[in-house]
Amino acid sequence: MKTLRLRSGREVNVCILQSDGTNCDNELFYAFKKFGGSPQFVHVNELRNKSKTLKDFHILALPGGFSYGDDVASGKIWAIELVSFLREEIENFRKRGGLIIGICNGFQVLIRTGLLPFGNLGKMDATLAANSSGHFECRWVRIKSNKSNCVFLKENNQVGWFSVNHGEGKFFSSPGIIKKIEDENLVTFRYVDEQGNPTQKYPENPNGSLNAIAGVTDPSGRVLGLMPHPEKFVDVTQYPNWRREKIIKPHGAFIFEDMIKFAKEGK
Amino acid sequence: MIHIIRVKNVMGKDLIGEGVLNDIYQMGIKNITKVETAKVYRLEGVSEREAKVLAETVFCEGIYQEYTLNSPIIKGANQIIEIAYRPGVMNPEVGSILKTAEDLGIKLIAADSSHEYGFYGKVTHQEIEDIARKLHLLNEMVEHFVKEKQKTLLIKDIPAKTNIIRLRRINDEQLLELSKDKLFLNLEEMKVIQNYFQKIKRDPTDLELETLAQTWSEHCAHKTFKARLLVDGKNKAPLFERIKKEALKHNKNIVSAFVDNAGVMDFYEGWAINGKAETHNAPSAIEPYGGAMTGSGGVFRDVVATGQGAKSLVSTDIFCLAPYDLDKSKLPAGTLPPDYMLKRVVAAVRDYGNRVGIPTNNGSFHFHEDFRAKPIVLVGSYGILPKSKAKKGYPKIGDVGVVIGGRTGRDGIHGATFSSAEMSEKTMEVNSQAVQIGNAIEEKRVFDAILEARDKDLIRAVQDLGAGGFSSAIGEMGVKTGATVHLEKAPLKYQGLAPWEIFLSESQERMLIILSKDNLKEFLKICQKYNVQASEIAEFDGSKRLQVFYGKEKVGDLEMSFLFEGLPQRVMRAISPRHSERSEESLTNVSISNPSASLRAGKLRDSSLIARNDKMVWAKVLEKVLANGNINSKEPILRMYDHNVQGTNALHPFAGVGMDGPNDAAVIKPLLDKPYGMVVSHGLNPEFSMMDPYWGSVWSATEAISNYVAVGGNYKDASLVNNYIWPFPDKEWLWSLDRSVDAVCDFMKTLKIPVISGKDSLSATYRGSSGVVIHSPPTLCMSVFGKIPDVKKTVSSDFKKAGSTIVLVGKQDLESSIPRVDLKVLPKVLDKVHKAIVSGKVLACHDVSEGGLITTIFEMCVGGNCGVRLHLEGVSLDFARDKKAHLRGGFLLNETAGCFVMEVENETTAKKLFEGVPYKILGKTTQDEKLVVDGLFTVDMDRLQQAWQAPMKEIFP
Repeated sequence: MKTLRLRSGREVNVCILQSDGTNCDNELFYAFKKFGGSPQFVHVNELRNKSKTLKDFHILALPGGFSYGDDVASGKIWAIELVSFLREEIENFRKRGGLIIGICNGFQVLIRTGLLPFGNLGKMDATLAANSSGHFECRWVRIKSNKSNCVFLKENNQVGWFSVNHGEGKFFSSPGIIKKIEDENLVTFRYVDEQGNPTQKYPENPNGSLNAIAGVTDPSGRVLGLMPHPEKFVDVTQYPNWRREKIIKPHGAFIFEDMIKFAKEGK
Repeated sequence: MIHIIRVKNVMGKDLIGEGVLNDIYQMGIKNITKVETAKVYRLEGVSEREAKVLAETVFCEGIYQEYTLNSPIIKGANQIIEIAYRPGVMNPEVGSILKTAEDLGIKLIAADSSHEYGFYGKVTHQEIEDIARKLHLLNEMVEHFVKEKQKTLLIKDIPAKTNIIRLRRINDEQLLELSKDKLFLNLEEMKVIQNYFQKIKRDPTDLELETLAQTWSEHCAHKTFKARLLVDGKNKAPLFERIKKEALKHNKNIVSAFVDNAGVMDFYEGWAINGKAETHNAPSAIEPYGGAMTGSGGVFRDVVATGQGAKSLVSTDIFCLAPYDLDKSKLPAGTLPPDYMLKRVVAAVRDYGNRVGIPTNNGSFHFHEDFRAKPIVLVGSYGILPKSKAKKGYPKIGDVGVVIGGRTGRDGIHGATFSSAEMSEKTMEVNSQAVQIGNAIEEKRVFDAILEARDKDLIRAVQDLGAGGFSSAIGEMGVKTGATVHLEKAPLKYQGLAPWEIFLSESQERMLIILSKDNLKEFLKICQKYNVQASEIAEFDGSKRLQVFYGKEKVGDLEMSFLFEGLPQRVMRAISPRHSERSEESLTNVSISNPSASLRAGKLRDSSLIARNDKMVWAKVLEKVLANGNINSKEPILRMYDHNVQGTNALHPFAGVGMDGPNDAAVIKPLLDKPYGMVVSHGLNPEFSMMDPYWGSVWSATEAISNYVAVGGNYKDASLVNNYIWPFPDKEWLWSLDRSVDAVCDFMKTLKIPVISGKDSLSATYRGSSGVVIHSPPTLCMSVFGKIPDVKKTVSSDFKKAGSTIVLVGKQDLESSIPRVDLKVLPKVLDKVHKAIVSGKVLACHDVSEGGLITTIFEMCVGGNCGVRLHLEGVSLDFARDKKAHLRGGFLLNETAGCFVMEVENETTAKKLFEGVPYKILGKTTQDEKLVVDGLFTVDMDRLQQAWQAPMKEIFP
């Protein structure tokens, strides 16, 4: 497999992919830029009409939002579009060793394309269903990083505050699939309680995800999807309690740092 | 042939079904044992095989769902009902279904989606329909029970023709008959129009008459605000002129005021910020979900359609409704129950604001019985744009007008004229077209396209297609040049619209972009990139006429000068209430009769109980105050609004240990990589402005600026947005409106800051056929936005630690029934508070508002998970001996605006910071989670917090 290598000092090009209804693209752009990446906005139509190509990028990032209104199911319409028109483009990008991250709606899209959790483009193995609370949730929750086979995440067992903003985030599949996900070390993040233990309790687990799963990777470890928004906590002042808690490092920062570092090292 | 796919969940709970069953139980109906729900998709023009492909790839996720094709999916239920949007009402989901089918290579002719409910238990179909109506599972304004088997989903109709209206030779009575329920113009105005057509020797087309009615409607022409006034016989300048005159004296930060869709003020480094708030009361009164949605959509478009295009950053939502527990028998005919209204307006903000991706991080709720007929739905939005592109653009001769975004349908026709009219029980039937459902994603892609075109210097001007549609937008834009319009070029939702309907339609999510012909090609390319439909519809041609064509047929030809200057200025009389000085006693009686307000400061019915200084009674009174609709925690609502999208919040709506302490204003960082902040806040008090329009308005404006200053805003760098929501302005209501405008002008003068945008809505009156008249409380809502150089120099309201000193800063009014703000002291207080916060020595700050001083302190304790111990030496709380004490509401419940509770390290710091303005050391924060007032009471925070949080948790579980 030929991987995409960067010479030292070269830019890490990040494709911030947009569709109708993408709305967390600006803060995602900012987060990648802040930690040394070179982000660029790309509308999905520009990939479809081939005026832009993923060949120019090291990281593909799918932002949060309501792609096509989340009509029928969240991320569904966008996922079908990607599988229908960009299957080859995405497969080639993966073969070259590109990294993919999907946050919130981006995660919903990755799940519905089948890229997560098992890398089966075009076949869904899990879903992100309507929150158990029955409605949209906008709140800050504790997330713990879990030792997984994600190739670029370095931090483990760290607990941080993350913003969740979604109506359909309940990670759900059959017991067999869930077991397989656990056995293959694909879970990257879980919702935890005050003691740092995975929890099914609302609202600490804001959507009722099975096994408190907040994020997963694929078997290659190069695709990451998560419901919480690391890009909304890369500056101290983005956190509601920055005035009363001492924040040494914004809790979402490490994801971008690790990803860019890994891409730079060109593994 | 139409294929029907039905999908239901087979794993996990049926959350919607359980919710409906629960509501049925609460109605006292016990014979229904289960409710099952399913989603229904109708597909036209595809084969059975293709329908199957769509079912399996798009509509049904096999992991937890199953589907049927052309057969029932809810099998064991006794009764099944299906609810769908009425034909012609836009279903936002359909566009996505058509798109995804196309992406899969399947050609659909038409599609629809709807919901099915299956009811188990012994019950007839009629009973179920009645239950569904009572539960408002549908709103028959926009939805219906699907009964017949449809042959096609397409709406086919022959385009209606343009009619000539015989106007020149009819009498006054006939003129009024023509105007009634349709044009909403008065006789004088109708006669001006008649004269015009007599002069030009022809009768008008329906399009011309409709265009005039729209342009001259109260909603668009602001006839009352521009009228010459006679107040108690004395001449007074028009309201608008007075506001504008005072505002422009304070122009340090003004970039653009009173001319564009939103007011613009200076920001930093070549940027400007803009803001606007407007009501959407009339449609919301009859369909709150669609009404509040399109209200949000409209104000977002106003902010984006400022200068050559802005990015919207903040959304605010202010709702005034009848109390959610109002006895349903008190509802007048043709009105909706307030608990339903509350749930639906919240759902609208959730479904629209969240989708467009504009954070809803500021807002409030106010409850009063007199909002039961006409509620207030007031939405605001604030944005950012380059200063060089912040001035309103005007077309040059030869420029073209392109309509982009949504297609034009019959929706919203007569919205402008309808919203200018009083409401009656007939409103629901006659004006159903004024209601529509929003499509947030359509709006989002339009915004994306506009911002890219702006940055490429392609845009001359942007005009929102809101009230009055093309008629209003093209007319206003072409007032100096004239314009030729080709209506056949407007993309339509369905055939069958008459030319005047196309011209007047208020279909949502459309914008008019004006640009030089040279830029057209590049602009259309950008639209294509964002999947935005664009169509060149008008040319600004130098004719100084508004000429409208439908194909080759000329359907309208009016002189711009008549359209925009022909409306005679009104002379309106205002008369002060007969008993010119209403006594305090009568005011008190008025409000005590209102249960929702009886416990508010100044009107304490239970104050005689407090007079006993009984600890237990105090606890009960506090619980009641904190549970009051205007005061209780709205956190469950805020958690459903995406208030954190864009990642710009530097002060969230809630903060503190449990992130449950409410803050006073939104502080956002419009430019993520810069320290600059925009602060947004608002204030209103319908009850106070009803009791006294002047002092109530002063209170509202002061509350707004206090919220702004309490978080660290500098009032000198603030701009104001004023919204007046008043009953139909007959003589007495006009008098009170005039007093409110006086208050706003005095407020500007006092603080030396300008109003730069605003709106009036003067139709908050309901007339029932039985003679019932309900005036909504006259309401001034003041919104504030402005700039600060560094978001780090701001504070939140949560107490930060135990042992700090608590200080009250500001001058309370303990004498009047409506606490009067001392406008001489106010600027000094605001300045001190601001400087104290910037110095970094203030740990927490929260302004005093409804619920009074003790509520402010309570909320600060909630955020801090702590308590307080207060010593109130020299404060009269002796209700038994001081007969007036209960009228004043006492010190602890006093609601004077412009007062602040501040947490500082110690008394020495307090003295240093606040010497020179009225301040009082109240006590200290404590680890122990109790409110302790020495000599008066000790109450557990737990108990109070429960009372404060319970009401909204119950409504929004």
